[in-house]
Amino acid sequence: MTSRIASRPLGDAFYRLPSRKGDIWQSLRIDPPLMLSLLCLAGFGLMVLFSASGENVADVQRQAGAIVVGFIVMAAIAQIDVNFFRRGAIMMFVGGLMLLGVVLAIGVQINGAKAWLNLPGLPSFQPSEFEKFLVPMLLAWYLSTRSLPPKFLDLLVCGIIIAIPAALILLQNDMGTALMVIMSGVFVILLAGVSWRLVFFGVFLLAMASPAWWIFVAQTHQKNRILTFFDPYRDPTGAGYNIIQSQIAIGSGGLQGKGWLNGAQSQLDFIPESNTDFILAVLAEEFGLMGVLLLVGLYMAVLARGFYIAFTAQDMFGRLLAGGIILTFFFYAFVNMAMVSGLMPVVGLPLPLVSKGGTSIVTLMIGFGILMSIQNHKRVLPR
Amino acid sequence: MAEKFKLNDHEREILIFNRRMVVAGVFIFLLVSALVAWMVYLQVYRHDYFSARSDGNRLHSQYVSPNRGLIYDRNGVLLADNRPIFNLTVVRETATNLDVSLDLLRSAIKLSDDDIEQYRVRQSRRAVPHTSIPLRYQLSEEEIASIAVNQHLLPGFAVEAQLVRHYPFREVAAHALGYVSEINREELEAMSPEQIANYRGSHQIGKTGIEKTYEDLLHGQVGYETVEKNNRGQVMRVLDRTDPVPGRDIVLHMDSRLQAAAERALGDRRGAVVAIDPATGGVLAMVSKPGYDPNLFVTGISRTQLADLNRSGHTPLFNRAIASRIPGSTIKPFIGLAGLYHGTITPETVVNDPGYYRLPGRTRPYYDWTWWVDKSGHGPIDLRRAIYQSCNTYFYQLAVDLGIDKIHDYLLTFGFGTNAAIDIPEASRGIVPSQAWKMENRGEVWYAGETPYEGIGNGIFQATTLQMAAAAAAIANNGIIRQPRMLRGTIGNDGEVTDVIFEDTAAAKQLLPSPEQVALVRSSMVDVINKPYDREHRRHEGSAYPVLRDSGEPLLYPMGGKSGTAQVVQFQVDSAGNRDNSEVPEAFRTHAMFIAFDASEKSRIAVAVFVENGGGGGSVAFPVAREVLDAYLLPEQETYNEVSAVTPSHNH
Repeated sequence: MTSRIASRPLGDAFYRLPSRKGDIWQSLRIDPPLMLSLLCLAGFGLMVLFSASGENVADVQRQAGAIVVGFIVMAAIAQIDVNFFRRGAIMMFVGGLMLLGVVLAIGVQINGAKAWLNLPGLPSFQPSEFEKFLVPMLLAWYLSTRSLPPKFLDLLVCGIIIAIPAALILLQNDMGTALMVIMSGVFVILLAGVSWRLVFFGVFLLAMASPAWWIFVAQTHQKNRILTFFDPYRDPTGAGYNIIQSQIAIGSGGLQGKGWLNGAQSQLDFIPESNTDFILAVLAEEFGLMGVLLLVGLYMAVLARGFYIAFTAQDMFGRLLAGGIILTFFFYAFVNMAMVSGLMPVVGLPLPLVSKGGTSIVTLMIGFGILMSIQNHKRVLPR
Repeated sequence: MAEKFKLNDHEREILIFNRRMVVAGVFIFLLVSALVAWMVYLQVYRHDYFSARSDGNRLHSQYVSPNRGLIYDRNGVLLADNRPIFNLTVVRETATNLDVSLDLLRSAIKLSDDDIEQYRVRQSRRAVPHTSIPLRYQLSEEEIASIAVNQHLLPGFAVEAQLVRHYPFREVAAHALGYVSEINREELEAMSPEQIANYRGSHQIGKTGIEKTYEDLLHGQVGYETVEKNNRGQVMRVLDRTDPVPGRDIVLHMDSRLQAAAERALGDRRGAVVAIDPATGGVLAMVSKPGYDPNLFVTGISRTQLADLNRSGHTPLFNRAIASRIPGSTIKPFIGLAGLYHGTITPETVVNDPGYYRLPGRTRPYYDWTWWVDKSGHGPIDLRRAIYQSCNTYFYQLAVDLGIDKIHDYLLTFGFGTNAAIDIPEASRGIVPSQAWKMENRGEVWYAGETPYEGIGNGIFQATTLQMAAAAAAIANNGIIRQPRMLRGTIGNDGEVTDVIFEDTAAAKQLLPSPEQVALVRSSMVDVINKPYDREHRRHEGSAYPVLRDSGEPLLYPMGGKSGTAQVVQFQVDSAGNRDNSEVPEAFRTHAMFIAFDASEKSRIAVAVFVENGGGGGSVAFPVAREVLDAYLLPEQETYNEVSAVTPSHNH
């Protein structure tokens, strides 16, 4: 191992050493800027949730518990050497696939998706969530062992790595998660430098295939969502109700907002799913444009730190993994905000760290734990 | 070289990655900028629009219906009040599963197809969205409990309390009071925009009787409130409220004890009784039999209930008191007054009655009732005896001497041929024929042979029981005519009764009789009842005297009256009703009539009785009239207490 690193003549110039000033945090393997941004987000999120859930203290306590667990999980994962992920990528990926198999066999169906595992002694969870890390991890490992940009054969392998878990998740009838897993893999491949020609070709293919999807594959509710996106008023009390009420809430919030706990739309239950997927509408109504900008700013802070970690990772595995995780995170946040404000068709995605839901939070924090592991387990190079 | 290549390769890879990260960063920047711009558009540029939409979501103006004014009788007895009932209502917008909910309800409470049908009609009429529409009225406590248990399965359904009209005496005075019922489309269309606004919160409107006539007084002014409602239509708080102005409480001239006594006196017979206070024209009682329970109509009568009411064939909803009939001999005193007024006769004028009358130069006889008894006639007879003996021949002659047009003009003075009642717009005008009238209405000239029948009220002339009572009251009141009226006054917020003084409006009062003329007719009418048999002279007793004598109960107050018997088909029947009617099918039997009054100096009551197919006026209608006068003039009578036998009901 040492010999391999030593064989890099100009390694010093490219591999930044960990800062010696942040010794306490360094030894705790915690990244203070990221930690601080996440804490602010989670705190703001709890405030909004308190209002969105109709001042339900129990809900907020449960969410706070999930956040605490999330931070503990994050800290725990940050202790793991990034090399463990590199070496264990295949094993974990295989393990993840086996869990998906178990779900298919004995999983529990919730909201139409047979995606949940109720194992004795553990809280129920969705193994498919882990694929959002396991797929980028394996891709990052595989691509970092190849020379970049990836060759066509490499892409084929990557495609298979993405396709297997995606197919298993689709079998669970969980289209949303499958798409997110695919996106998390695509981000890694994009960062690895796949030629733009291929990217455009892929986009072109998707565009060409979409009419066929619309005619042969798309289910009624999916079509409805898209039609509703283009014209919410085609069914204002049915399919269009959510987005209409959500926009009313956002728009009526104005610059300053109606004040915490004072959103008429939110408090009088005009916003469906107001404490989960549509919680942004509550935030926007009660805190106005200022609140939205604060939220976006906090996300940007997390994003900036993630970019920094990706840029300064010690090797290509770390770079690709960090880049993939942080882009996936942004994707989540953006898609949710865009759909709630009516810029995109409605897809069932929570607003990261704000929407109610322990699974979502813990999964996110696992990602940030891996980022911190990448940031804080850099090898000290010989001088 | 190999190392150099490897180095370049490594650098190149980092370069590739970094470039891709920068591209990603630019993308993110663009996306976030677009998102923020969109948010600025929604929250700043379109803020006013969405604020209005938000207010529209939560703020609802709703109407608060005023409480309907109460109706009291002259003694402060409540004739119509309001009581709370519990209704099952539906807000269609939030009733997401209407059909499923209705199926569930059908098994949980009494809910007929009729109810659902009526609900759908109401729903289709509704103008304001998100308002609740009644589905079932008057839920029982069990039903309310049953709905509460299933409430989670019944989105959009609620149990709401409502004040509705209630008539505690049910059938008593039903026709006079009328009833309220659901506002229908025609009524809505007839309203002005202001009226429509005033009825936004109201479900019912007066349909007949007092309830209709005084709808404006009784209804009150609608109130408004602005409420904040949540997504499920529940009112979270009231933000602003304009209280409704309740309808005025009103007092009628009606005496509910007398009304009840009159209904009892009429019994199960079809007919009408109207009693009037001669001094004021106030209607003390107005009875029409058979009756009905007006409470049935308040929340919408069902088709089966309506069919039950009509099945009898006796038209219980029809107000016989204000329907016109041939009045028979009850008209004779007024023809006599006409003769005196025009100088056609004097009190001393004597007509010879051989038992019939013939027009000059004609052979056709017009028979006196005596002809059917013994072909004897009355012999020489003056006005007084002609009235108390109800002599036809005298009045045949008088009518012919007067001529139809003079009779017409004179009878108008007493309120015939017009609806003289001040506040009973539904009343029939009756018919007072004249030459012009006949040409206009039948397209024929007046034949001389028709005039004699008008003298005895068995021609074209028609009058309502109300008109007969008012005319009798005019005689009782010594010739001072007061128009009939129902309303006595309104009750203010302080409980003070404010008399509503209605000035008489009748136009034709020029032909007023002199006091002496009235006194003669009045005392002749007293003789109708009180003049006993005269051993010396045959046929010198009052026509109703035998009935009074046979009753075995002497009168305890002075009473005047006049009987009448109207032919339904052309039988020659005596005016005292002595001919045996029992062989005739009931529908062809004569109508029995009687007008009567308290004949004391200051007369307190006049009454007209009409018994449909009842038989003779003297034998059938007179006892009814007497019972009514007894009930009013003899305060210690047990009838006084028996009124309370008609106990107010709180359920029906």
